[in-house]
Amino acid sequence: MKKILDIIVVLLVLVACTPSPENVQKSNELPPIYPDYCDVTIPENIAPLNFLLRANCEAIEVKAGDLTLNASGNEATFDIDDWKALMAKTAGQELNVTVTALIDGRWIEYKTFSWQVVKDKVDPYLTYRLIEPDYEIWNHVQIQQRCVENFDVNALGHYEQLENRCMNCHTYANQNPELSMMYVRGPGGGAILNRNGELSKLNIPGSVYFGFSPSGRYITYSTQKIIPAFHSDPSKRLEVYDATSNVFVADMEAHRVISSPLLSDSLKFETFPTFSPDGKYIYYCAADTVKLPTEIRQLQYSLVRIPFDESTGTIGTQVDTLLTSQSVCHPRISPDGQYILYTVADYGTFPIWHPEADLQMMNLQTGAIDSLAVVNSRKSDTYHSWSSNSRWFVFASKRDDGLYGKPYFCYIDKDGKAHKPFCLPQQYPTFYDNNLKSFNAPEMGKGKVPFDVEDVAKAMKQDHINFK
Amino acid sequence: MKKWLRLYPAIAIVVWAVIIWCFFQFWYPYHFFYQEQNQIFLWSQDYISTYFEKPGGVATLIGDFLTQFYYYLYVGAIILTLCLHVTGTLLYKALRNFKVSRIVALILALVVMTFVAVCHFSTTYRLSATIAIMGWVLVLWLISVMKGWKYRLLITALALLPAYLLFGIPQVKKIQSPDFVLEKDFAVDCEYYFGNHDKVIKMVEGYNQWTSQMLFFYNLVQAQRGQLPEHLMDFMPTDLGTFYQIGPETPMLTIRNMNELYWVLGDMTFTERAAMMTNVFSRDNRNVRMMRRLAECNIVSGDSLAAEKYLRILDKTLVYSKWADHIRQHGKEIYKDKMQMVNRHDTITISDNAHFLMMQLLDANPHNTVALDYILCSDLLLKDITNFKRDYDRYCIDTDKPRLKSLYQEALCIYLAGTNAPQEDWQRYIQRQDVMRRFMEYNQQRGHPKFKGTYWYYFDKIKAPEI
Repeated sequence: MKKILDIIVVLLVLVACTPSPENVQKSNELPPIYPDYCDVTIPENIAPLNFLLRANCEAIEVKAGDLTLNASGNEATFDIDDWKALMAKTAGQELNVTVTALIDGRWIEYKTFSWQVVKDKVDPYLTYRLIEPDYEIWNHVQIQQRCVENFDVNALGHYEQLENRCMNCHTYANQNPELSMMYVRGPGGGAILNRNGELSKLNIPGSVYFGFSPSGRYITYSTQKIIPAFHSDPSKRLEVYDATSNVFVADMEAHRVISSPLLSDSLKFETFPTFSPDGKYIYYCAADTVKLPTEIRQLQYSLVRIPFDESTGTIGTQVDTLLTSQSVCHPRISPDGQYILYTVADYGTFPIWHPEADLQMMNLQTGAIDSLAVVNSRKSDTYHSWSSNSRWFVFASKRDDGLYGKPYFCYIDKDGKAHKPFCLPQQYPTFYDNNLKSFNAPEMGKGKVPFDVEDVAKAMKQDHINFK
Repeated sequence: MKKWLRLYPAIAIVVWAVIIWCFFQFWYPYHFFYQEQNQIFLWSQDYISTYFEKPGGVATLIGDFLTQFYYYLYVGAIILTLCLHVTGTLLYKALRNFKVSRIVALILALVVMTFVAVCHFSTTYRLSATIAIMGWVLVLWLISVMKGWKYRLLITALALLPAYLLFGIPQVKKIQSPDFVLEKDFAVDCEYYFGNHDKVIKMVEGYNQWTSQMLFFYNLVQAQRGQLPEHLMDFMPTDLGTFYQIGPETPMLTIRNMNELYWVLGDMTFTERAAMMTNVFSRDNRNVRMMRRLAECNIVSGDSLAAEKYLRILDKTLVYSKWADHIRQHGKEIYKDKMQMVNRHDTITISDNAHFLMMQLLDANPHNTVALDYILCSDLLLKDITNFKRDYDRYCIDTDKPRLKSLYQEALCIYLAGTNAPQEDWQRYIQRQDVMRRFMEYNQQRGHPKFKGTYWYYFDKIKAPEI
């Protein structure tokens, strides 16, 4: 009852007035804001960085450049028009942000932090799968598309229209919304290919992880038998490994599968294939087979590549090893071909549950490796993808609670320096606190994909296009 | 007389509502607790805004808001009865305004009240559906108070779309009889959840038919008292919960039971997994009982960030916020014993086979007597005497901590007799002379009903569970 009365009082106060600071005491500490937007670099086209103060505060004032926001409670929610004007005005500059909060009847002004607003825009759309963090069993899975310039969300795959099936991995061809693919699993399921909004259902045998070639004619994909396993130490939770895995190329025009003994070596696990932006190589991860699950700590994936000729559709005969330290996962090359971004974990092929899993970035021209200390956290940081201008990448981080992945955006400046990442802003600052789904496999796109969940439901009723 | 004629419909509706209240309060109260525990309502703008994404959001919002108070005694039946009373009264008044005769209007109002009450016999029928019906009846009443058909038509035209958006299309259920067996299942489950272990024992022992759900909790309570071996044979066929594995077809209640089992056994990996899976299969993928458990098990396993995630959610509930605050401040003290039992020796398994998991727990902590009794009793239920002997040796003999329960001594007699064990083995294992004497007696009257309750009788006469 007391809580209801509190809420009524708060509502009355809201209606009556929003207090503004007086007799302010200064603090040398940064404000305990969530998400952590202190000293981050943001693109000028990002949606308002709404946040909340983790304090029992009655009112809050935020000064960001010329913009002043006063609100009752602990949530700072910016008007989107004011925000857009602020971003346009401060693009290319550093913006100082001061948070003042009314706590226990006293106004406290926290240490000022900055937002570096850069003119390099981030791709405006983000697709991801929303699923409970325990991936063994699903219910009510969705694939969503979010415009990161505002808060608009629409579903590409929704359990209600797709018979509560499992869905995964919507991936663009080179961030191009006119060419993309996603999977709908289960009987009659398949890969749903979007080509200029025309959807077709493909039966690519066993395909799991995949990436498009620059021309869009080919995809390289891995097939694997995925096994979930459990750690007895509760801090390690879940482990997932492949009992078998191989890499192939599929010709999306001739509907044929191209294989190579080098990519289907029975003594190796091959996975996470991706084309280089010039289409001349397939980068992937490979490990010597070990006895699983008992020897999983010896399961170490290397970063390797093999040539590919897009004009003839032929796979080369020489595998180059680029990196052998720790276990490498999810290599993704920046569209300008400058960097390769990947995850390293102590072992295995499923870094999502490995707290030590971190991102690393290799300069493909010099071979220099950046450990991305400013980017990584003490929890899992993985599953990343690039923006089309190669200046931004998005990744799923479990830094807040170790359980639920959230999309973080990181800026790479022209000198190749990574800046402190920021979490995808939400309309309501409490969104992530209340949310019980992981943002899985975030991918950036240059535009809105020209289909929706109804189109996917229709495509599911089509006959498969089989691959030979 | 005229006054009485005016009043008797209202009295009849009130009396009928009281009868409905009595039924739900005295014969069906645990269904309310079940509903409350398998949902969550958050006082958060972000959360509340999600209700307006679909038609019928207001009805669902009100329904879910009120359902959280089912946590309190009597409140579930009171809320439902009030809703039915309002619905019946509005319908009666609307029909009267439409010039329907008093007796017909009354009968229709009582029929609708009864029908909606009957819908609530089902566990999947939510209060929000009743609120939606109430909303539509309210619209009908609003139309009925208008004078003249033109106004009524106008109000109908104006009200249809808003009413649809506010209340959606009301859901109903097929007429079904109340499920009193399920009510008893819920009763045992809820009393266990509330910590009333004596009541669980008393309830189960007082029933004259038993479901696996009841016996699962009965055994769970006995195990925590260190008395599982004494009571394993009390009810047959019994249910330990150790033979289940979670898969896509596993019922939500079974997954939730496994959560309770692993929590008691001390396996936090599988406690968390079962809690998350229960969430996955709960309404809107949320379950307040499991939210509490997720906070608890992460405190026990030392993951304060993960625990805080769930405590923050519970902070936003009206019913559990105090609990969340209490656990935040005193959790480490409250779960001190459990924290000492956490398995820090990491191994990887691809199976959720409980036997294997219990072995891991015992290897990490030989003092875990709950796991010890569960592993030995599971062997015995399956009549797997060889593995029972192996496990007994490993965790009782090799550790020099023999567990001299009658059940185990009886089972060891079977093993020793079956393997023609030498006398020194008999002396080593059978330390209870009363058991030895009874075993000799049993061998002369093998399978006699007077030995019911002994493991020998179970071994000879009762079918083992199939797994």
